[in-house]
Amino acid sequence: MMRSALALVIFGGGLAQTTFPPALRVGDITPDIPLILVVLLALRRGPELGCLAGFVTGLLQDAAAGGFIGAQALTKTLIGFFIGQVGGRLWVREPLVQVPGLVLLSLAEGVARFLLLQIFHFPGSFGDLMLYIVLPQSIYNGFIGAAVVLTLIGAERLRGGARWR
Amino acid sequence: MRVRRVVLLVSVLGVCLLLLTLQTRGEGASAGQVVAFVTTPLQTVLTKINRSALGLWATYLDWKNVRAENRRLRAELERLRVDSLRVQETEDENGRLRRLLVLRDRLPLATIPGEVIAREWGWARSLTVNRGRGDHVLRMTPAIAPEGLVGRVVEVRSGTSIVQLLNDPASTVGATVQRTRTNGIVEGEPRGTTRFKYMARDGAAIQVGDLVVSSGLGGVFPKGIPIGLVGAIIDRGSALFHYATLTPVVDFGRLEEVLLLTGQTTQDLAAHFPTDR
Repeated sequence: MMRSALALVIFGGGLAQTTFPPALRVGDITPDIPLILVVLLALRRGPELGCLAGFVTGLLQDAAAGGFIGAQALTKTLIGFFIGQVGGRLWVREPLVQVPGLVLLSLAEGVARFLLLQIFHFPGSFGDLMLYIVLPQSIYNGFIGAAVVLTLIGAERLRGGARWR
Repeated sequence: MRVRRVVLLVSVLGVCLLLLTLQTRGEGASAGQVVAFVTTPLQTVLTKINRSALGLWATYLDWKNVRAENRRLRAELERLRVDSLRVQETEDENGRLRRLLVLRDRLPLATIPGEVIAREWGWARSLTVNRGRGDHVLRMTPAIAPEGLVGRVVEVRSGTSIVQLLNDPASTVGATVQRTRTNGIVEGEPRGTTRFKYMARDGAAIQVGDLVVSSGLGGVFPKGIPIGLVGAIIDRGSALFHYATLTPVVDFGRLEEVLLLTGQTTQDLAAHFPTDR
């Protein structure tokens, strides 16, 4: 049951990015929901699930976006694995950590993806990509991620259950 | 455990790199098709869910807008009702004042229009009018309305006068039945009604519906001002006089304005009042 739910969350999250953007768009910016999902799953479930979630959601994003299949899968896999590894040492309950943390992660993912795509002679300029896409999206991710984490913490408090890591 | 993680990571990265490599060699289409085979049905379902959710949201927004509009329209309706009442009120007042003005212009004696600013409706029945000593109003000045007699001024103050109504128990007015010229006195009664008394039994011959007007005897009220209609005739048989109950032609409860007759006349004023009752 839990595995099915997880699979649904990962698949749904991966596809939501390409299916729901009008609902989430602010100006011309949409958040990277799969990335936020991968980070949250990695924090809760560790590097293995983070790595797999990153791979699946990234792959779905690649497929849905019609770009290089495997590029986002690779970057998100690395992010998921990395956060799963170091997540225990992060104070993720603090919004002061959540927002900048997710911003930095999003930026890192953007830079990594750009570098990877350079191998395939991706035509976009780094400055423009960073300025108009990656940076605004990173900031948006930071706030959405923080809101999600705070919501989860609140829900757990209400339930009186396990604490968020 | 650590090794397993690393193996997993390397494997996944390997798959990613393999996919990327395949695409650089022109085999990206098939890789994309394989992934699309899995993703397309899911995307279709999600799009449907999304559209339903958006539809629901749009419905909610519509409902909210309709509700807000409803509230706004209700407020507007309320305001319009108040406006309409105000207009109606103004129209009514206009009508009353016009009739008063017409009467004032037609009457062959000096008059002062006065507005009713208070009413006493208990043991005494009177009106307070916003005309007083400053307007040269004197005690015993008759007060009339376009329909007929209202009463007389019994007290004059600096800016107001108290008008004793015809149905006040202390009020007496010399009166005549217009049709038969039968004389008598109209008196008020404690219960707020009026009656026509002291009619001589012989030759009275008055009927229900006859109009009773002021007789002009006594020098207070000019002659011919309508007072009331005979409602019933009470005949006590052996009594020397009999009497009639009257329905006043003026609705004292609804009076808003009166004319105070400050001048004197000996003319019969009956022709200046409406005859259709």
